[in-house]
Amino acid sequence: MSRLKRIALLLIPAVFLPVVYTFDVVRVAVNFEIASLMVFRELFVIVSFTLIGLFIENRRNALSRNGPKEIGRVFFAVVISLLAVGMAMIFQPPEFYGRGTMNMYRSALFMFFSTLIALVLGAVSLYILFTIHDMILSKRRKSTWRYYLGYLVFLFAACGADLPFFHLEDTFLPPIFFSFAIVFIVVNSFKQNWIVYLSKREKIYSIVYSILIFIALTLLDVYLASGSGSNNAIISYSRPLHTFIRLNAFFGTIYFGVTFISTLFHLPTAEVFERKQSELNSLHNLSRLVTQVFDFNDLVNTVTQMTSEVCDARSVWMELFSIHAETGEMSVDVVSKKNITQQEIDLVGVDDGIQLRRYLLDSRKVLLIEDIWSDRRTKYLKEKGFARGSLLTIPLLSHGELIGVLHATKEYQNAFDQDDIDVMTTFADHVSIAIENSRLIAKSIERERLHQEIMVAQRMQKRLLPQRLPDIPSVEFAAVSESSFEVGGDYYDVINLPDERIGIVVGDVSGKGVSAAFYMAEVKGIVLSLSKICSTPRELLLRANDTLLESLEKNAFISAVYAVLDVPNASLSMARAGHCPVILISGDSSELVRSSGIGLGLTNSFQFAQVTEEREIKLKQGDMCIFYTDGITEARNEEMEEYGYERLVHVAGECRDCSAEVMKDKILQSVRTFIGQGAYTDDVTLVVVKWLGKSKE
Amino acid sequence: MTDFKIHHRDGEGVSVIELKGYLDAHTAPDLETAFQKLLTEKKYNVVVNCRDLSYISSAGLGVFMAYVEDIRKNMGDIKLTNMSPKVYNVFDLLGFPILYEIYKDEQEAVSRFKQIKK
Repeated sequence: MSRLKRIALLLIPAVFLPVVYTFDVVRVAVNFEIASLMVFRELFVIVSFTLIGLFIENRRNALSRNGPKEIGRVFFAVVISLLAVGMAMIFQPPEFYGRGTMNMYRSALFMFFSTLIALVLGAVSLYILFTIHDMILSKRRKSTWRYYLGYLVFLFAACGADLPFFHLEDTFLPPIFFSFAIVFIVVNSFKQNWIVYLSKREKIYSIVYSILIFIALTLLDVYLASGSGSNNAIISYSRPLHTFIRLNAFFGTIYFGVTFISTLFHLPTAEVFERKQSELNSLHNLSRLVTQVFDFNDLVNTVTQMTSEVCDARSVWMELFSIHAETGEMSVDVVSKKNITQQEIDLVGVDDGIQLRRYLLDSRKVLLIEDIWSDRRTKYLKEKGFARGSLLTIPLLSHGELIGVLHATKEYQNAFDQDDIDVMTTFADHVSIAIENSRLIAKSIERERLHQEIMVAQRMQKRLLPQRLPDIPSVEFAAVSESSFEVGGDYYDVINLPDERIGIVVGDVSGKGVSAAFYMAEVKGIVLSLSKICSTPRELLLRANDTLLESLEKNAFISAVYAVLDVPNASLSMARAGHCPVILISGDSSELVRSSGIGLGLTNSFQFAQVTEEREIKLKQGDMCIFYTDGITEARNEEMEEYGYERLVHVAGECRDCSAEVMKDKILQSVRTFIGQGAYTDDVTLVVVKWLGKSKE
Repeated sequence: MTDFKIHHRDGEGVSVIELKGYLDAHTAPDLETAFQKLLTEKKYNVVVNCRDLSYISSAGLGVFMAYVEDIRKNMGDIKLTNMSPKVYNVFDLLGFPILYEIYKDEQEAVSRFKQIKK
C-alpha cells in the first residue's frame, strides 16, 4: 500500500472522529437527541475504526513475522492500553456520566477523555485480534478457519446487537451472541501450533510475554467489566466498540493464557525438537552436498562439522582407508578433523590402536566406548594422555567394504545416546554414497577421456588413408574404407611410383581395434618406404614380411595384396600375402586371381619366399581390378549367412561397364542390402581400378 | 550373437580340442585359455577338430599362431582336422596349410602323432 493510501486511511478517522466529538459535545450540552443523527454518529465511529484497523494491519504486515516478537509487541500494546486506562482513571472526573447535568466545558473535557480512551483501547484490541488471527491461522487445518470465522461472526453479531438504533438492549440476543463469542474464543484458544516450531530460546520469551499479557489483559478485562467512570465513558461513547474491545481483550486473555501453559509444557521437549530439527536441516544440507561430488573435501568437512554440532561432540574426525594395489597394505588418511590434533589421532591409530582398528575392520559395526579410560579396548589411551570421555566410531561402508570410519568423542562417560548413533550412521552413509559417486564419476570421466583419445586415433587413422587418389588419364580409381569400430585394422594405399607406375596395396591386420590400428600404421610406413626401393610386388612383400616378423606379436599377422600398375606397359603385376583374391574383370569374364602366398608375419623369409608368387596381367581396355578385404566377403546377414565370393563376383560382373566409382558404390550397396539391419562386424575396404587404355598419343 | 564352445578330451597321449560355432575376436580368448591349460598341463600333442566350427576370423587364427611355437619347441604339434570347405578356405587363403598339418579326420591326425612316437 502506498504511503498516500495509508495517509488517506488515517485522514478519514481524523475528520470523522472530531466530527463525532463535536456532535457529542453539542448533543450533551443541549441535551437534544435526533435518532437519525445518532445513526450517522455510529456509522462514523464504525467507519473510523474500520479504517484504523486497516491501517494497523497494514503497519503490522510491514513488521517481522516471528512468534515471540509478535507477542512482545502485543504486550507493549496492552501496556499502553493499561497506561491509558490508568491515566483516564487519574485525570477523569470521578462523577458518573449523566445527561444534561454538565456544562459545555465539562462535557467537552469529558468527551475528550472518552474519545481518547476509546481510541486507544479500540486500536489495541484491533491489534490483539490481528495478531491472534495470524497465530491461529499459522499451520492451519481446514477446521481452523471455520472456528475463527465463527468467532468473528459472533463478535460482530454481539457488537451489532449493541447498536443503539436496533433497541435490542433488553432482549436476550446480545448476551447470547456474547456467550457464543466466548465459546468460540475458548475453542480458538487451543490453536497454538506455532509454538511447536519455536526454538527453546523463543519459547522462553513466549512464556514470559504470554504470562505478562495474560496478567495485563486480565486487569483490562476486570476494568472493562467494572462500573468505573472511564469504562462507562467508553460505553457511552459507543456501546458496540466497548463490546468489541471487551471480547477481544477477553480473547487475548484466554489465548495468551493458553499460550503460556502450552509453551510451558512444550519447554521440556524443546531441546529434542530443536535437535531433531537441526538433524533434519543437516541431512537436507548433506543430501545436497552428496550430489556435488566435486566438493568431496567440502562434504567431509561438513559432515565433521555437523557431527560435532548435532551430537554436541568434543572432537570429530574421519578416516578413509585405501588398500595399496600392489602391496595390499592398508593406508589410513585422516580426511577431516575437528578439535583434535593429528598426534591425538595417531594415539588412537598406532601401537595398541591397531587392535582397535583391527576390531573395526573385522566387525564393521558401530563401536561405542562408554569410557575411554576403562574400556579394555581403549584402556591404553589413558597412559598416553588421551582425554577421558566416550568414543563413538561409525564404519563407512560401500558395497559391504569398509572404506573408512567416522569417530566422535564426548567429554563425559556414557555420553552418546541412540540418537547420536543414528544420526552419525546417517552421516556416514551419506559420505559412503558420496565416495561411491565420486568414484563412479571419476570412472566415467576416465571413460570419456579414453573415448576422446580414441576419437583422436580415429582422425589420425583416417589421415593415414590416401586423401586423394591419383588422377591420370588412362586409369580410374575408386576406394573406400569403413571401420566397424572407432579404429580399424584395414589399410589401403595408392602410391605414385617412378616411370608412370602406380603401387596399389590393400591389407588387413588380424584382430580389431587399437592394436590392429597400430599395426596398420606400421604397415603403411613399411609399404610406403619399400615401394620406392623394391621393383616387384613380390620383393616388396618379402621384405615387408622380414620387417614385420620381428615387430609383430606372435598371434598377429597381416594379410595384404600389393600390385604395381605399369601404365606404359598396360600391365598389372601383383603378389598376394594371404589376402583375399583380387577380382579381375576382363571382357565377359570375371575371375578371382588367387596367386599362391602366405600372410605377413606368419613365417620366416625362406618359407615366405618359397610360397609367394607373382602374377602379371596384361590389361585390355575396360579391364577392372577389384581389391577388397574379408569384411566384404564375410559380412553376415541376420541369419548368419555370409555374403561370400560368389555374390561379390556376380555383382562385380553385372557392373562390368560401370565406372570405377559406380562399381565401388554398387558393391557397397549390395553388401549393405545383404546385411540388412545389422552393422558391419568387420572393417570393410574396397579399391576399384579401371583401366581405360592408354591415352592416344 | 556369436556362439562358441570348446570341448576338450584326452586320448592316449593326444589332446583333442573340439571347436564349435564362431571363433572370432570375442571368442578367441576362450581358445587361448584352452591352449594355456594344455601348456601348463604339459600336453603338447594337440589335435583341433573343426567339424562344428562355422567360422574363424583372423583373431581366431592368431590364437594358433600364438601357441604353436611353444608347443613345437616341446616336440609337440597342433594338427587341424575335419574342416568344412568354408573354414578351410580361410586357412588356405592365408597360407596356413603350409604352417599346419590339416587332416580330413581326427583319427588320421591322432595316428600321425602315434607314428612319430614310435
